[in-house]
Amino acid sequence: MNRFKYCLASVLFLFGAVVMAQEEADVKEEREPGHYNQSKFKQLYEEFSTPNTYRSASGAPGPDYYQQQADYVMDIHLDDKNAKISGEETITYHNNSPDDLEYLWVQLDQNVRAKDSKSPLRDGNGVNIAYTADNFAQTYISEPFDGGFNIESVTDDSGKPLSYTINQTMMRINIPQPLKSGEKISFSIKWWYNIPDHTVNRARSGYEYFPEDGNRAYVIAQFFPRMAVYSDVEGWQNHQFWGSGEFALPFGNYDVSITVPADHILDATGELQNRDEVFSKEMMKRYKQAKKSYDKPVLIVTQEEAEAAEKGFATDTKTWKFKATNVRDYAFATSRKFIWDMQAVKIGSKDVMAVSLYPKEGNPLWEEQSTKAVAQTLKTYSKHTFDYPYHKAISVHAKNQGMEYPMICWNYGRPNEDGTYSDRVKYGMISVIIHEVGHNFFPMIVNSDERQWGWMDEGLDTFMQYLAEQEFGKNNPDVIAPNEKYPSRRGEAAKIVPYMAGDQSYISPIMSNPENVYQLGPNAYGKPATALNILRETVMGEELFDHAFKTYAQRWMFKHPTPEDFFRTMEDASAVDLDWYWRGWFYTTDYVDIGVKGVKKYYVSNKPTKEMEKYMADRNLTEADLPPLVYLAEEDSEDFSPELKGKSPTETSQNLKEFMMDNMTEAERAQVKEPKYFYEITFDKPGGIPMPLIVEYTYADGTTENVTYPPEIWRKNDAEVKRVMATEKELVGIVVDPKLETADIDTTNNAWPKKEEKSDFDKFKENIKGDK
Amino acid sequence: MMKLKKARMMVIPLVMLLFLSFSSAHKFYVSVTNIAYSEEDSAFQITSRIFIDDLDKLLKERYGIEAKLATPKESKIADEYIEKYFRSKFVVEFDGEPVPYNFLGKRYDTDVVICYLEITNVDLSNVKTMSVQNELLTDLFDEQKNVVHVKWKNNKKSFVLIREKNKGMLNL
Repeated sequence: MNRFKYCLASVLFLFGAVVMAQEEADVKEEREPGHYNQSKFKQLYEEFSTPNTYRSASGAPGPDYYQQQADYVMDIHLDDKNAKISGEETITYHNNSPDDLEYLWVQLDQNVRAKDSKSPLRDGNGVNIAYTADNFAQTYISEPFDGGFNIESVTDDSGKPLSYTINQTMMRINIPQPLKSGEKISFSIKWWYNIPDHTVNRARSGYEYFPEDGNRAYVIAQFFPRMAVYSDVEGWQNHQFWGSGEFALPFGNYDVSITVPADHILDATGELQNRDEVFSKEMMKRYKQAKKSYDKPVLIVTQEEAEAAEKGFATDTKTWKFKATNVRDYAFATSRKFIWDMQAVKIGSKDVMAVSLYPKEGNPLWEEQSTKAVAQTLKTYSKHTFDYPYHKAISVHAKNQGMEYPMICWNYGRPNEDGTYSDRVKYGMISVIIHEVGHNFFPMIVNSDERQWGWMDEGLDTFMQYLAEQEFGKNNPDVIAPNEKYPSRRGEAAKIVPYMAGDQSYISPIMSNPENVYQLGPNAYGKPATALNILRETVMGEELFDHAFKTYAQRWMFKHPTPEDFFRTMEDASAVDLDWYWRGWFYTTDYVDIGVKGVKKYYVSNKPTKEMEKYMADRNLTEADLPPLVYLAEEDSEDFSPELKGKSPTETSQNLKEFMMDNMTEAERAQVKEPKYFYEITFDKPGGIPMPLIVEYTYADGTTENVTYPPEIWRKNDAEVKRVMATEKELVGIVVDPKLETADIDTTNNAWPKKEEKSDFDKFKENIKGDK
Repeated sequence: MMKLKKARMMVIPLVMLLFLSFSSAHKFYVSVTNIAYSEEDSAFQITSRIFIDDLDKLLKERYGIEAKLATPKESKIADEYIEKYFRSKFVVEFDGEPVPYNFLGKRYDTDVVICYLEITNVDLSNVKTMSVQNELLTDLFDEQKNVVHVKWKNNKKSFVLIREKNKGMLNL
């Protein structure tokens, strides 16, 4: 075999020499400047902060990781008649950080609705060509609604007033002495505010008024002054609440009493402490049944009972008492209009209650689908992350809402007045329930900073939502019929193409603050969800992805992760280098576009090609000076002659034949399958994101072969790569990304021979012609 | 009084109007219309994507028709009324003169209906300006936003149109 090695070495040497010769010819007069490392595969050292003892390079919490704790004791009163809410709260704040804190920051989110709020002022506007009278009046004549916090007092644990400073939605408590590392402090705040009608101003929290019966249904959240997060990453996270960037909140324990009219039905974050006092005997009996009902919900309050309660307007009150452990927030819903149903769901070894609360206006849709969707969410999400750790998950129907809190969320999906509903309302409702209940996992438990990184909870949750929707469809074929699978709006690669292909001036990288992006929907929800779906199905494979994703969820359960903790963990747990993927999909607005540019057909020949002849002439060499060589002649070049066609390589290359006879036994030669066809295929990549090159080759006999070249194929040439295919059968077709799994924004360049791909418009036009 | 915020939302420029999703999974009112010039056909090919249930509701409120779009019981007169509605709310002008278009039909894709329109026999060299007036659904929803993308030769321009600013203009 020595001779074989010699031969190979010579060929390689020759190849190198030819390349060098070409380069010499290309030398330009002007010297090009140097450049930084521009490789798309460059590691993200510059984008990522250096790992430290708080956060490890593996993506796990480090040995010195800490988080603060805020415990609340609250006494809340709802004034239904005047739509006001008031409360007294005592916050016990534990400083687990290594730092002494000179002041504390408390969030006053309702101040976004204060008369002097700066939120309406932060966007530029111009004079319109015309105004409708009501809009003109609202914009320039009406008094703004006063929905900000009224802070009555801030006092220390002995009742003495504490100094404080309010800057819009943030309140600094000026504590007399710094709060030392490892110590805790208690202080109290007394407050009230006017509750907004959430149906007219799209607030996340408020009431809906029902003029037919004079009742309100309240969904109350971000309603109390809440501690800001202090962390190793941000210090105090006191970025103002402008309206889009949601919340950053520390974990803690809550002890909450809520006083409402006696005929209200209420549910909230936490375990109900006085069920005997607030439930009737009948409700208790039904509740016990519900705890044993695993297949369908049991009504605790029926529609008939709710309709009777609507007429009550009790003047006496009832106090509902709850305790919640290790939650990052608190919310509740209350009304005399509520119908209430629940069922048990087995999660691991534990029973969790799936709960729904809805006015009769939600029926029949809500009694049919809500609790079912809650149960599916708990099952799918638990499988991919960790067993749902709380004892219940509640879906509350509130018009036009879609908002999440620990154990409880508000969801839209209102049927028409006659009880009919469109598919969009049905699927919208099931999807929003899955999404908002799913938020219990991200960010309620895997507690990322929503104020800074909207995508960390929205993107991960929307990705999981897609998996849960698909499972919901599989488990409930009757609900989704005639569809064969659940019609998910987001998740599939092709669905993000219009956004990725859109006007670059209105696209921001995923790694942007939610206040500063142009299109929050695709930016924080659709694109990251699709990126994760493609990562799972196409780049990593389900097994590697699922293990890494679960590792991330379990590492950061009840903790505060950053984007890097997610990126690092996904690599750390899978041994897949993904820096190129995070860079392309998360740090840039690049898109995917890969195509097949051209195919050249070659035949084995014994005769040197023109290019080789020139090479030899330039160096004064003859064939005799060189080791035996095999040449490939391109079909469309002058090197080609028809007699090369249809023969095996040993027939057309004497050198190859001799080599094989010298180096292989007769038996070995008989085993060899000689390829008859040689192709050089050029793939190009107009898009910025490197992706696996997924190719389907079709042969003359109709068979196909699928080859996936790893994304690293683009590492040395980001624009174009060539591959040689040696085949026994003639190649008749090539398709890049045949199953549309990479979100390729332009598929007109994906096929050879180039298919005249008709536009959607032309296809439609042709179809209707066919019909006529 | 709380409408204040919404009212202000409506007068802010394009950039903010693209901001479609307010809280976690909010229902939003938007349509997307693509207008592309086809050299081959010398025509502007127009596709307009509208949420099915929004259009369904419109047909009911405006014309009193139970259209039941995208269901087996879809009304036979639905197409006729959709076309009638387009002709009253979607107008293209060349150099200030309205140009006729063909309403080719519609198809469904998940939760949206795609309507196909075509302006034929366009000689681009004879047209200086084009305007697109798109008031679809603004009569039903205060918050309706109609995104319009126009592509011709190697140019493109986008508008976000609302009730108070229902027309976009461009120089061809």
